[in-house]
Amino acid sequence: MRYLMTSLATGAETPPDERLFTEMGKFIEEMTATGVLLATGGLAPTGLRLTSTGDEITVTDGPFTEAKEVVAGFALIEVRSEEEALELARRFRRIVGDGVSVVQQVFGP
Amino acid sequence: MDVRRAVEAVWRLEAAKVVGALTRLVRDVGLAEELAHDTLVAALEQWPESGISDNPGAWLTAVAKRRAVDHLRRAERLARKQEELAREPESAPAEAPDDVLRLMFLSCHPVLPTRERVALTLRLVGGLTVEEIARAFLVDPPVIARRVAAAKRALAGVGFDLPADPAERLSSVLEVVYLVFNEGYSATSGDDLLRPGLCLEALRLGRLLADLVPDAAEAHGLVALMEIQASRSAARTGPSGEPVQLHEQNRGRWDPLLIRRGFTALLRAREIGGPPGPYVLQAAIAVCHARASRAEDTDWAQIAALYEALARQVPTPVVRLNQAVAVGMAHGPAAGLALVDTLADDPALREYHLLPGVRGDLLVRLGRTVDARREFERAAGLTVNAAERAFLLRRADDLAADETAGPTLGATADAFLARDDLGPDTLRSYGQTLRRLRLTVGERVPLSAMTAAEVHRAFRSAWGTASPKTWNRHRSALRMFALWADAAHLADDLPRLAETGAPTESIPDDRLAALFDRDLPVRERVLWLLLRESAAPVRAVLSLDIEDLDLDDRRARTGSGWIAWRAGTARLLPALLGARTRGPVFVTERRSTNARDRCPDTGHTRLSYERAEYLFKQSTKALHPNGYTLRQLRPRET
Repeated sequence: MRYLMTSLATGAETPPDERLFTEMGKFIEEMTATGVLLATGGLAPTGLRLTSTGDEITVTDGPFTEAKEVVAGFALIEVRSEEEALELARRFRRIVGDGVSVVQQVFGP
Repeated sequence: MDVRRAVEAVWRLEAAKVVGALTRLVRDVGLAEELAHDTLVAALEQWPESGISDNPGAWLTAVAKRRAVDHLRRAERLARKQEELAREPESAPAEAPDDVLRLMFLSCHPVLPTRERVALTLRLVGGLTVEEIARAFLVDPPVIARRVAAAKRALAGVGFDLPADPAERLSSVLEVVYLVFNEGYSATSGDDLLRPGLCLEALRLGRLLADLVPDAAEAHGLVALMEIQASRSAARTGPSGEPVQLHEQNRGRWDPLLIRRGFTALLRAREIGGPPGPYVLQAAIAVCHARASRAEDTDWAQIAALYEALARQVPTPVVRLNQAVAVGMAHGPAAGLALVDTLADDPALREYHLLPGVRGDLLVRLGRTVDARREFERAAGLTVNAAERAFLLRRADDLAADETAGPTLGATADAFLARDDLGPDTLRSYGQTLRRLRLTVGERVPLSAMTAAEVHRAFRSAWGTASPKTWNRHRSALRMFALWADAAHLADDLPRLAETGAPTESIPDDRLAALFDRDLPVRERVLWLLLRESAAPVRAVLSLDIEDLDLDDRRARTGSGWIAWRAGTARLLPALLGARTRGPVFVTERRSTNARDRCPDTGHTRLSYERAEYLFKQSTKALHPNGYTLRQLRPRET
């Protein structure tokens, strides 16, 4: 089964340090090697918001006020169980420090 | 959340590394697995109390290593060895980069039968429990437990070093991984067409392997092949579980992510270069399909060319059957059918439902719907997968039946067996014959369309290697049936065979192969091979002396002529003879006073007929409840 793990922007403006880069690189490499990580990427803090009401679609420019709700990065993983997804998310959080991640099962390709 | 399940999830992520490191330390994979299991139990005891370790991987490796060191110390105290040795394992690294690769090589070791390789690989590298493996393969857990145990025993003396011939050993690993994938992808039995768990395990094993041997093009080829096949999972079954053929699949349901990963893996294989191996070729074929956004855009000429290259390397009937499909698409159904028909008599495809399935497809395209219908029915009778059978029968039903053809084989046979003037034993015996015929010829074939040649083919494939007595029994059953059904001509091509009094029916080749697959003393191996290859009388062979042998010409002089053998015996004879230069070829450890039957150098006695016969009977009890006699080694007269 597949899970999408998204990490929300922390709002804190501390840029990632060298250690985080190395550890994250190692973690991604290992997840790729073991065949768990299917795709991953970071997301720009700005974006476009589309809202449809009836026939009308409104496009709004970011950035958005609720910074805490903005997704900063994602990882699509293929695992045997929810527990396995959770364990990998734990390992990820341990590396990046304070913040929030959301793990959701992905249905169908 | 259940802590136990959480611990087990962690375990599965780490199992390969832990077991690999342990095997390196204790140099015995069976012991390593036990220690690994102890480690898991320790985690299951501690973590629910203390919470899962911050770095569970490191925790497991450290605990496992400590257990290994303890074990080695204990073993050493028992052996009263020197003290320095005890320090060695402690200084050994807890993890080494090659551990997992070595473990893969070991669990796919060629000394193991394939099924044991599969079970052991999933157990040790995949970290699955025996119960999970059993569930995936639809067998009882004790079956898997036995396979794992047998594999561990067989590997007891095998080292943990990287093999000297990694290329050859790698192909064994690739084979196991692909086998696991295929078991999941096209389940060979059961009602579910897909067992996604196994596909996922295989994909993970494959991706892991490709990362461990980045320069092996075939490993990337296998990954590419599996990724692209897996990309079709959602599209290859219909709403009620029936298979949807490639050209009818909704390509919008193919998983683009896996397709892209497949492309990437194949590109890596191509970058490595060298002549493409079987997996790279199969991946290239899969990529051809994946590139076509509509079935009619498929580049069949390219696929046919790739299959031709593949058939040159792997000339198996199944590959050639696929080649025929591609040729049929690229160059027309008649060309495909011509190729299929060269395979019709291949014994390996005798019960392979895809052969009539493919023939049926080609016949439909040629407009020969009546023949096509028969082929689909035949295919349906041969498949063991329920969803597939239903699908094939539906395809048959879609084609117009030949209404004028009269009753079918199945209906006629049922009516014949429903007669009340036959005794139960006769009925059972007739039933056996007809069941087989219905399976090979097809249940719904009109009796009027059957030919004597067809019946003969069915008989030859079913009982061609059986004893004349068996053949004749089925023959007379068929004659009774044919007479009754007013189709006596169907038995025209079945000769009555002369029955010899003695039970000398030859041992079928496949049974013999199973026998030679086992661990045998070299003496038995040579004797049995020699009897098979030479077809010489048992007494003549046992009375051979080394002086009689002409090793270069692979023959020996006997009182009445020559005994000749082939490569199998020739290869093994030197090992049997060793340094001996005279005396009986086949000897026992017992000493004899009789000069003629004694080795003049060692005093060992010639092997007696009675002893040889007894040993053979014992060894062949696994093949046949009564065992076989040495005389039955003589190949069947052809």
